[in-house]
Amino acid sequence: MTPAIEIRNLAKRFNVKQGFFGKPREVRAVDGVNLRLEEGATLGIVGESGCGKSTLAKLILGLLAPTEGDVLVAGQSLGALDRRARARLIQPVFQDPFSSLNPRRRVVDVVAMPLVAQGGLSGAEIRAQSLAMLERVGISAEMAGRYPAQLSGGQRQRVAIARALVLRPRILLCDEPTSALDVSVQAQILNLLAELRRDMGITTLFISHNLAVVEHVADAVAVMYLGRFVEYAPAKELFAAPRHPYTRALLASVLTPEPGLGVPDVGLGDAMPDPSNIPPGCRFHPRCPVAIARCSTEAPPLVGGAECHLLTP
Amino acid sequence: MKKAGLYVGLAILVLVALAAILAPWIAPHDPYAQDLNNRLAVPFWMEGTNPANLLGTDQLGRDYLSRLLYGARVSLIIGVLTVIVSGVIGITLGVLGGFFGGRVDDVVLFLITTRLAIPVVLVALAVVGLFGSSAVLVVTVLGLLLWDRFAVVARSTTMQVRGLDYVSAAWAAGCSTPRILLSEILPNILSHLAVVATLEMALAILLEASLSFLGLGVPPPLPSWGLMIAEGRDFMFFSAWVIWIPGIALFVLVLGINLLGDGLRDLVGGRA
Repeated sequence: MTPAIEIRNLAKRFNVKQGFFGKPREVRAVDGVNLRLEEGATLGIVGESGCGKSTLAKLILGLLAPTEGDVLVAGQSLGALDRRARARLIQPVFQDPFSSLNPRRRVVDVVAMPLVAQGGLSGAEIRAQSLAMLERVGISAEMAGRYPAQLSGGQRQRVAIARALVLRPRILLCDEPTSALDVSVQAQILNLLAELRRDMGITTLFISHNLAVVEHVADAVAVMYLGRFVEYAPAKELFAAPRHPYTRALLASVLTPEPGLGVPDVGLGDAMPDPSNIPPGCRFHPRCPVAIARCSTEAPPLVGGAECHLLTP
Repeated sequence: MKKAGLYVGLAILVLVALAAILAPWIAPHDPYAQDLNNRLAVPFWMEGTNPANLLGTDQLGRDYLSRLLYGARVSLIIGVLTVIVSGVIGITLGVLGGFFGGRVDDVVLFLITTRLAIPVVLVALAVVGLFGSSAVLVVTVLGLLLWDRFAVVARSTTMQVRGLDYVSAAWAAGCSTPRILLSEILPNILSHLAVVATLEMALAILLEASLSFLGLGVPPPLPSWGLMIAEGRDFMFFSAWVIWIPGIALFVLVLGINLLGDGLRDLVGGRA
């Protein structure tokens, strides 16, 4: 069976010039990502800021052209498809609902836009479908005539979800869909997403830095570090028994509501990862609390879903 | 209170526009009708005035009020047409440069710099010298020369909007590039461009008056305010009003448009 989405050795490198006489430096934002996801599954992608999550999202959406590799949805390479065909396969929900909706368009027109771009439907049909989708995400027909500025953050994110689903895509890519929202609204949006996913059978990529959210929604989790998946495992396994030292550190860094504990010390040191200067050997070794001599010279093999020397016999 | 300027400017512009539109009905005389027995009649606040000519007459006995009202037409039509021509050129260039960046932007920047190096009045002089003066020519020359500010503002605001998520969303939704430019980018930079439009309109009206004053603008006997000042120049020592009536009209109109632009700018800035 062909997977719903397959990513093969995807890489994106940027050349960044520093100053007028500066030597151009190569930034490896995404560095060899592989992925297979079955129809209807949800994959959570986690990682700290600057690890390449958003670049990966842009590559998958086709907003950036990959330097290497390919993204296949339902067996078709996205790079070979035109923009409209791609739009029918994959749609995004962005982080900030205040900048993801055009402030000059009414809500119903925002949702209708993908249908209008596809062409072939009459104005009345487009309006009916848009209103039906808005109804489904909990936006009434009365609110559909308003402008985005007149809606709350949660309502705006519902509109953004309606816009993403109105074409009934195979894949939904959510790039931190709740991190700009109030905590009280986050749960509502997550439940709405879960419900729609179940009803419509959509495969979802869920990018987040919030581990609790990922644990709640994802079937499988990929942990990203400096442009690579360092661990990729079913969600239950990963949260119960993390294998990679970076995953363990991430799980240890979750803040607890208990007072007096302060910010947890995860033992990573304060060396910041720099995608323009990826260390040789294992990319995590300068920060790894359990690194051994081999880690600084030799890239670790992929063993049971994690890339780490300590896991090899 | 902060919006007082906006309303005053709007009121002035509406008043002048009404005068221009209604000129054929409210003008007391034909603005071209000469009456050599009634030359340089004085306006209503001076002694010996003729109630038939409220603002007096010019050196050929033409009613000054009627010429002033018809002159508003020339100023406004030339102002509006120039803004349309230069706006289309400047906004197109600016949006394309700002949106695509790279080579396209290099070309647009080169065109803007080139345009800024060209002195407007000098070019107008040369062109009028070659083709003779007409209102169409004035609009063409000004329209082809005053687009630089439109281009600069359109370019920088497009660059700001281009990176926002709703443009990415439109891209991912399968919208074509022209559709993204027209329905996602343009509506969101229009308020900034409206401010530029008022500035350019005031500038165009002043330039038309200057060119007409130099004899390079609209040809006589068309009643342009600049031309009225030019024709009255020989009589200004004994009949000063022939200069300052059209002068005040010009001043008030340009002031009104600038007040409107200032008010619009505050309104746009307050929301952005």
